[in-house]
Amino acid sequence: MFTRPFQFERAESLAGACELLRAHGEGAKVIAGGQSLLPLVNLGLAQPDVIIDISRVAGGRDIRADDGYLTIGALMTHARLAADPLAASGQPLLGVAAAKIGNPRVRNRGTLGGSLAHSDPAAELPLVMVALGATYEITDGRGSREVKAGEFHLGFLTTQLAEDELVVAARVPTLGPGWGWSFQEVSRREGDFALASAAVLVRIAGGVIVESRVAVGGVSDRPVRLADVEIVLSGAAAGQIGDRVGPIRGISPISDTGASASYRAHLCRVLVTRALAEASSRSGEAA
Amino acid sequence: MTPEVPLTITVNGREVSAAAGAHLSLLRWLRDVAGVTDPKYGCGEGICGACTVLLDGQPVSACLVLAAQADGAAVTTASGLLGADGSLGPLQRAFHEKHAAQCGFCTPGMLMAATAMLADRRLRSRREIRNELHGNLCRCTGYGPIVDAVEMAQEEAGR
Repeated sequence: MFTRPFQFERAESLAGACELLRAHGEGAKVIAGGQSLLPLVNLGLAQPDVIIDISRVAGGRDIRADDGYLTIGALMTHARLAADPLAASGQPLLGVAAAKIGNPRVRNRGTLGGSLAHSDPAAELPLVMVALGATYEITDGRGSREVKAGEFHLGFLTTQLAEDELVVAARVPTLGPGWGWSFQEVSRREGDFALASAAVLVRIAGGVIVESRVAVGGVSDRPVRLADVEIVLSGAAAGQIGDRVGPIRGISPISDTGASASYRAHLCRVLVTRALAEASSRSGEAA
Repeated sequence: MTPEVPLTITVNGREVSAAAGAHLSLLRWLRDVAGVTDPKYGCGEGICGACTVLLDGQPVSACLVLAAQADGAAVTTASGLLGADGSLGPLQRAFHEKHAAQCGFCTPGMLMAATAMLADRRLRSRREIRNELHGNLCRCTGYGPIVDAVEMAQEEAGR
């Protein structure tokens, strides 16, 4: 609780925040909802010299639908994303995942941009973004660039963001006809970070899976898309899913006080199978 | 040197203006600067809920909001639930009647989480009440009477 003193700067715009980041250098951290940064500060694990507040920047907290995509502003809170009707009808994975984050207090303050930039390997929203093949808009205040979610998350609390860059928005495809979805996670207690999680989308035609997107969280240093599983699922009927999903490859779960690596790997397979079954049952044409 | 920021925050209806270190959390500002000590410091990570306050009507962990971010806002803590004459509010009375406090450390946070929950005046099942209070921990594990009290308060409000 007795944190090392730091300076507080309030940014009036995202471009202004980028300018402040350049001015203050590596001792500066950006705060919006503060639900990832302040636990680290309170525990002394982060000791910034300057905190730059973007929580009062105008705009950037809405959701927009156009041309088969939803664009969500980085300052959108988890609570609002979980309750948003446009998100619920356009891409239900978003709201369902957002509702599983932490507790109501975390969801009232925590923001989409904060969760993506913090890049906790067990966090819900980065996982959903990787599963959906989302694109992030990133700015340094002078220009902007787009980065694919799968390339943005580099590892444990590590992203492609340069020191003076911020996430502005995330763009995800809306759920197409024939697609079903599912989000599954297991944690020790409700609100804890997931021991393992899975976000899945499948498209069914003629009674079999013709297309799928499978991603898992909490079992690697970043959310991982499982291309191997997607390939073997092609042509599978619902009853064959369990047999087709073998031991999950391409993950590297760790052992800690929450669970052993082998238990996490086991959970991962169980959750992927469960998510595929649920997603199949939700598709327009059940397998 | 500690950089200070001028702050004005309305606490339980009373406007408090006091400059404070920019690094102070809202919780520490409330307790050490404004002298409002009912929100408690438990974990500092937003997990335990002992510091739950309403910030412009929404429950937040006061340990995970910088006081500087709350400048100009209205904060309600458990003592803000008291009547004008200092008597217990309806939810507090229900907690008292149902013996919903053992050591009492979690109580101010429980009261605010429950206040936020009951704001929509929807009648909830015991299971729903438990689910919605999952972010507030009682290490005496006296959850039963807490759920009893919230149930009693919502029934009384419904009458």
